[in-house]
Amino acid sequence: MERNINLFASLVFGMLYALTSQSQVRKVEVTTNAAGHYELHRNGVPYYIKGAGAKDHFDLLAKSGANSIRIWSTNNGSFLDSAYQRDLTVTLGLYVRPERGGMDYNDEYAVKGQIEQLKNEILKYKDHPALLVWGIGNEVDLRYSNFKVWETIETLAKFIKEVDPNHPTMTVIAGVDPAKAYHIKKHCPSIDILGLNVYGSIENAGANLRKFNWDKPYIISEWGVNGPFEAKTTSWKAKIEPPNGVKADQRKRRYKELIEKDKERCLGSYCFLWGQKQESTATWHGMFLSNGKPTEAVDVMQYCWMGEWPKSRAPSIRNISLENIGWKKDHVLAPNTKVNLSIEYLKYNNKKVILEFALFPEAFSNKIGGDIQLSPDPLKLDILTQSDTELTFMSPKQKGAYRVFAYVRNEKGQCSVANIPFMVE
Amino acid sequence: MKLTAQIALGTLVCFTMSCGSMQDVRLYGPSKSTSALEKFPYKILFTSSEENGLWGLKNNACKEISFETTNSYIGKDHLHIKWNESSCKYIGIGLKWGNYKGKNLWPILASAAIELRVRIDSGELSNVPMFFILEDYGGNQCRTKINYLDLEGGKIDTEWRRIRIPFQAFNYENRGVNMGNIKELRLEFQRKGDLHIDNIVIVPHTHNYAHTEETFTKIFDTHPIQLGVGKEYWWGINSKYSSDIQFGSSFKNESVILDLDTSKKKAWDTFGFSPYQWMRVDLSSIYTTSALTFKVKAAELPKIQAMLFAYSGKKRKLQKSLKENHFIERESGVFEAYLPLKSLIGYEDFRWDVLKEIRFKIMSNEPFEMGDFQLIEFRGNPKKPTKWKGI
Repeated sequence: MERNINLFASLVFGMLYALTSQSQVRKVEVTTNAAGHYELHRNGVPYYIKGAGAKDHFDLLAKSGANSIRIWSTNNGSFLDSAYQRDLTVTLGLYVRPERGGMDYNDEYAVKGQIEQLKNEILKYKDHPALLVWGIGNEVDLRYSNFKVWETIETLAKFIKEVDPNHPTMTVIAGVDPAKAYHIKKHCPSIDILGLNVYGSIENAGANLRKFNWDKPYIISEWGVNGPFEAKTTSWKAKIEPPNGVKADQRKRRYKELIEKDKERCLGSYCFLWGQKQESTATWHGMFLSNGKPTEAVDVMQYCWMGEWPKSRAPSIRNISLENIGWKKDHVLAPNTKVNLSIEYLKYNNKKVILEFALFPEAFSNKIGGDIQLSPDPLKLDILTQSDTELTFMSPKQKGAYRVFAYVRNEKGQCSVANIPFMVE
Repeated sequence: MKLTAQIALGTLVCFTMSCGSMQDVRLYGPSKSTSALEKFPYKILFTSSEENGLWGLKNNACKEISFETTNSYIGKDHLHIKWNESSCKYIGIGLKWGNYKGKNLWPILASAAIELRVRIDSGELSNVPMFFILEDYGGNQCRTKINYLDLEGGKIDTEWRRIRIPFQAFNYENRGVNMGNIKELRLEFQRKGDLHIDNIVIVPHTHNYAHTEETFTKIFDTHPIQLGVGKEYWWGINSKYSSDIQFGSSFKNESVILDLDTSKKKAWDTFGFSPYQWMRVDLSSIYTTSALTFKVKAAELPKIQAMLFAYSGKKRKLQKSLKENHFIERESGVFEAYLPLKSLIGYEDFRWDVLKEIRFKIMSNEPFEMGDFQLIEFRGNPKKPTKWKGI
């Protein structure tokens, strides 16, 4: 009896929730304006996406002028609720397993199982008021060989068209080339928007789409600084990461001169990454440190989204060198010798800044496409002297590949970071 | 009767009689016989900690394993595992399954599945980052994961839900696993989770799903080959944004008219096409005796750079700037270009079985037309493309 009462109560609650949610569903559609330019409309009003790939720091994101987040899967539905509470919309990813993750698109059992599972996810989230766009698959094209994956993408997009007329469909690819543009155009007619994850290749992305005859709109679904996969390496294959200040300039230019200027086709963008993750280093794409403190990239995004810098700005490391040799070069040191690290930075309006340093073993990884990488544990840094711009330390006794990090932060914890890989031999 | 004739007759009789009494046993193919499962002696993998052996039960920073006696599906207790791979490369446990006796799964491969019951303490999931691994006595492993189609109710929640893992779902063929001599079953866990597991058994199961072998490859093994047939397989021509490159009509097959302004900062100076419908084009049997040829209609020879791209491989791009010795003037203002594939630097390292695209960059301002792209037989000196008498 008690079970029946509980069941009834759950049913009533569920129906009420469904009705409430239904009434809050936002109609989102791709349309064209008087100039013939593509626009995203939400409840009939033009909606330009100022977004970030984010799973955290939502309050600061909203405060910085963003209006949307992109997440990569439906694993955690609470992100939608968190976004909704802050008036942020969500491009919701449907995780379509890539071939590089072991998926075999010639295996009918695996393909159908995945489709049925994702259909269930679509039904679960289609009426969420924060939902903006469906992101069907992320970089399924990266090192793929089986073009049948596009059949799965189309099956899901077509299903969305049947059950959810309120939200457009997008598939996200790792850079664009003419073959991918052709396959998606040909095999995925139910896809409304092309999502582009573009780092170095953002420079020509808009022009290339036109050359490759992609005639629908696009969203820059991931962008930022050039990725580790595009970076120069040392002679021992360690990726060379530019200092935060250099990366900040690159972000600002790309937003202002590439993303924002394409009014005709681009519906907006999601910067990467409003959070922290290990990708060759702990600081490459993340706009936050592992301790949750924001870097100057956050300030840059506020400037891009709102047109003004925050009152309190993070300092900015513009240059870093080891033994008077710049960060772009190889650094080979003898074991257990005195080494000098120097940095150049801008304090902006900070009266006081704090310098910190850390040493890590080099984190070589052959993972690609944002696949999960493990962070190395820090090593003891044997500091001899430290000033406002310089650090003298003893190189490790053990031979091997290392990376030294310099952090400059203000009293609020806003920071800038730079690093240099070096080899002890 | 001679001895050899007697032996032959004896052998024939022996074969005939033996064949009559032989059973139809498939050594390497999966059997669909359901009666085979009845005879299979190792149908129970886990019902309680006392009955069945497991290994990898030692707790560490990444996994916490216990046998809980409350709310079990069957038997005295059940397995409860909590895991978090943040600091571990591998999290797994193994089932000794018949105390490590070598198990021949061939007879039951197409007619049986591993079945287990799972539940969680709260909430609802549609998937768990958990893999099932079969290991043979050669140390080879094949794997699969939970498929939504065989997850009871399409979810894992606080009820004991049935999961089936058909043997056919394991990638044993790709991994070279000997399904006739399986040692154990392993459960591997990734990312983070918390799961109750009970009653791991082998049950009858029909698995009616196909495995196709599509490769999206077009093999060319004879000359001549017309390339880039169909304008939808071309790029770089979009009259909405540029009139610098447009489709032409001077030749029998596809052609483009080029009238560029190369002084522009971002000149629209490149076009390309798929050799065949953006599929992988396999020229592996003929590339050493092939040349790319096309026609050019121009007042003077244009500066053209040809590029070939592969879908995969270490060297994905080959390129060559065409010079005067690549061209023959067939009539006034009409040239034919010949580019032997062996003349491209690095051609030995190029994946000729996955050719993707042929692309041209134009570095001339004078208008001209080029088209009728073909791959022809070429057996001359690659360094002297127009000297071969065969063209």
